[in-house]
Amino acid sequence: EEEPEENQFCMKDLPKHACAYCGIHDPACVVYCNASKKWFCNGRGNTSGSHIINHLVRAKAKEVTLHKDGPLGETVLECYNCGCRNVFLLGFIPAKAESVVVLLCRHPCANLSNLKDMNWDPSQWQPLINDRSFLSWLVKVPSEQDQLRARQITAQQINKLEELWKDNPDAKLEDLERTGLDEEPTQVQLRYDDAYQYQNIFGPLVKLEADYDKRLKESQTQDNIVVRWDTGLNKKRIAYFCLSKANDEMKLMHGDELRLRYIGELQKPWSGVGHVIKIPDNHNDEIAIELKSNAGVPENCTHNFVLDFVWKSTSFDRMQSALKTFAVDDSSVWGYIYHKLLGHEVEDISLKCTLPKRFSAPGLPELNHSQVFAVKTVLQRPLSLIQGPPGTGKTVTSATVVYHMVKQNNGPVLVCAPSNIAVDQLTEKIDKTGLKVVRLCAKSREAIDSPVSFLALHNQIRNMDTLPELNKLQQLKDETGELSSGDEKRYRSLKKQCEKELLQAADVICCTCVGAGDPRLAKLQFSSVLIDESTQATEPECMIPVILGCRQLLRLDLQLILVGDHCQLGPVVMCKKAARAGLSQSLFERLVVLGIRPIRLQVQYRMHPALSSFPSNIFYEGSLQNGVTAPERSRPSLDFPWPQTDKPMFFYSTFGTEEISSSGTSYLNRTEAANIEKLATRLLRAGVKPEQIGIITPYEGQRAYQVQHMQYNGALNKKLYMEIEVASVDAFQGREKDFILLSCVRSNEHQGIGFLNDPRRLNVALTRAKYGVIIVGNPKMLSRQPLWCHLLTYYREQKCLVEGPLSSLKECFVNISKPRKLVN
Amino acid sequence: DTDEEVKVLKPKVALCKEDDDFMSAFDQMMNDSIQARTQESVKVPQLDIALPTQVKNKPKKLALPGQGMSDKDEEKDKAGITGLKFVLMTRKGNKQQLTDFEIPMTAEFATKFKEREEAEKLE
Ligand SMILES: [Zn+2]
Ligand SMILES: [Zn+2]
Ligand SMILES: [Zn+2]
Repeated sequence: EEEPEENQFCMKDLPKHACAYCGIHDPACVVYCNASKKWFCNGRGNTSGSHIINHLVRAKAKEVTLHKDGPLGETVLECYNCGCRNVFLLGFIPAKAESVVVLLCRHPCANLSNLKDMNWDPSQWQPLINDRSFLSWLVKVPSEQDQLRARQITAQQINKLEELWKDNPDAKLEDLERTGLDEEPTQVQLRYDDAYQYQNIFGPLVKLEADYDKRLKESQTQDNIVVRWDTGLNKKRIAYFCLSKANDEMKLMHGDELRLRYIGELQKPWSGVGHVIKIPDNHNDEIAIELKSNAGVPENCTHNFVLDFVWKSTSFDRMQSALKTFAVDDSSVWGYIYHKLLGHEVEDISLKCTLPKRFSAPGLPELNHSQVFAVKTVLQRPLSLIQGPPGTGKTVTSATVVYHMVKQNNGPVLVCAPSNIAVDQLTEKIDKTGLKVVRLCAKSREAIDSPVSFLALHNQIRNMDTLPELNKLQQLKDETGELSSGDEKRYRSLKKQCEKELLQAADVICCTCVGAGDPRLAKLQFSSVLIDESTQATEPECMIPVILGCRQLLRLDLQLILVGDHCQLGPVVMCKKAARAGLSQSLFERLVVLGIRPIRLQVQYRMHPALSSFPSNIFYEGSLQNGVTAPERSRPSLDFPWPQTDKPMFFYSTFGTEEISSSGTSYLNRTEAANIEKLATRLLRAGVKPEQIGIITPYEGQRAYQVQHMQYNGALNKKLYMEIEVASVDAFQGREKDFILLSCVRSNEHQGIGFLNDPRRLNVALTRAKYGVIIVGNPKMLSRQPLWCHLLTYYREQKCLVEGPLSSLKECFVNISKPRKLVN
Repeated sequence: DTDEEVKVLKPKVALCKEDDDFMSAFDQMMNDSIQARTQESVKVPQLDIALPTQVKNKPKKLALPGQGMSDKDEEKDKAGITGLKFVLMTRKGNKQQLTDFEIPMTAEFATKFKEREEAEKLE
């Protein structure tokens, strides 16, 4: 009863007659080398002979066959008189008075004396190879555009490839660059000659990350699992259990697949696969999976279960498929965007569009001047980057852009983001404008609730009333859990039909970047693509929606918009090798380095002005303006010992030492944990609700310790502390809290400060709070790092670098290093 | 095809040792081929190439511009000149085979043909 999986892709391959050097495959432009049994084109790329001639010379081959669909069909190139087939000798002679030509070899046939007496003119003999390429009427020369779009192969590479063919005739150009297992992979580049080179560099990095992920997930088998059984509303069995190992190793996410196995003796062995529908949180360590099939579930057993992680290659396969399509399918991406993505110099294009009179979209807040500027600019360009610093209304701006693009182009817009949460947030805003929105979820996530569940494709189908038969079958399926095979077949075909209808009628389709590789979207044509949080996606991930959405259309107003902030955290790459080679750089970031200037949103509405000043100066060249005033972000009645009444911030100096955590892989700092608890208690006492407080700590060890410490040592009710979110910087990206307590943890004399070294992480940590920030750490140690030194100096200047008991904080005069100039 | 609208500022031929080597290897191969033919004095049949009877008409300027011509062709096209229609005569066994094809006016051969035709007209 399991639905067929959504993992089939149409991997495009080059046809057999594609040039073995550059991939050009117009039949009129290619020739077959009879000796090496490969095709080559008659274009010269950046060498001084055409590819076929380059090959013939290097392989010492002399005979060729034309393509049957070329200008001369399957004509055999041979001397009319003697049958010689050496193309280096062949030429042609025209008749004296007729429009007829024959092929003759240069010697002896073209030199025979009786030729003159006949209708032919031997003085007119001309070779088939001229200027180191075939005559264009014999084999067409591919257009300059096609040659630039093809794989760019150098004379050096041609040489190496020809050498390789001597040992292995099936070798491909990619094999030249294949790296050994222990070698470092090739670094990503700023510019790429062509999409083949792009694929050849990113393909191996995606593979490295996939292999790493597979090894990690598959090593997660855990035994002695105790299961509690339940049944969901959809009649499916749900297994609840806890894991002995902490979830930070497992890194479970909603929708992940787990296999539960029964190995006890109370009944025969059983194994079943299910999707994760609940992960551990502050309240409860349980994990829940919803089983795909109810058949044979050992509901009476609770002990002797084993759990395996089912690794799925779907997301990596889709990245590889996007890379391949980009390389091989020359209609996959509109030429302008193709060259821009590869970093080529392209003449700018501005789109003809009638700008709307009002830039704000219905149902959404009025835009400020920098948001209007962004929307206006984006609408006139085929490729734009929007940079949204913290709290600048990135989501509203994106939703407004999408609204106008739908109104202008009347074509559907593809909206993606790397995470489901980000997709849902944007989907919610776009829905408010009144557009027809479909949220496409992975099948494994259909059971997971979200604020935009009603927009999900599978739910919209349930609510359609045009097909009563489908509704009936759905009802039956919901009630009984399964359908007869005949009904199931009918149910699926009706569902498919509805899916198609809904998708085709949509103004906007929202899904994750990986979700854009869903086969249900494969046939749709989009007019524009917007990728939100694109700075948190790896390049190959970003390429999935780019390939789907930027297909070459007959129209020119195709648009690609990347939204994000390269000054905040980038994509998470787990394989260090792949990260080192540059997989952790986003496409957005590379385009910025290439000189595409992002349009920056400049008014922030989140932070108290005192909190935004340092991040603005250090990370955004001082360009952030405050859309909120100090009074709007102050709570005068709050009884809290801010050292400066007009500045809700301070650095709380703590000199405790760090330890290695019990797991041995993380750090913890007991003194800091105690201080954080005191600060949290003080805020709670002053009336701040626990869900308005966030505690950021960079280490899992400290996170676990902090949660525990507050539970057992907190002065107030345990429940209150449970409601406070304690998490890593990364988990807070894209979100906000009223108050943020930041625990730095690292405090030793000799080592670095690890996680806190990344300026983007510090930026995120400092920009989450609306009403107040307190940093707890060792100023002496932290000030050795240039960026932290600036931060500490700033806090000192503001008289906010303090120490002592909370009830009587006083300025801390510990020596901190002099700040050096920051170099980006 | 929208790609025509995209102006790529392209890189030029990359001069390198490998490319120089290729050019001399090409000359070498050309020479060797000719040398081989002249020195081994190949036996060839008596030359006897009759004109095909079907083709007695003069080459005509093509009325329709050909598809997928190069930019240069299109320029010529605007000037009112395009390719010339020709027939390639080949042999399959003992049978003559005729294949239509087109020579762009940019080909030296086509220009010569044109000149000769004009000269004939003048006579
Ligand atoms: Zn080629
Ligand atoms: Zn001959
Ligand atoms: Zn290019």
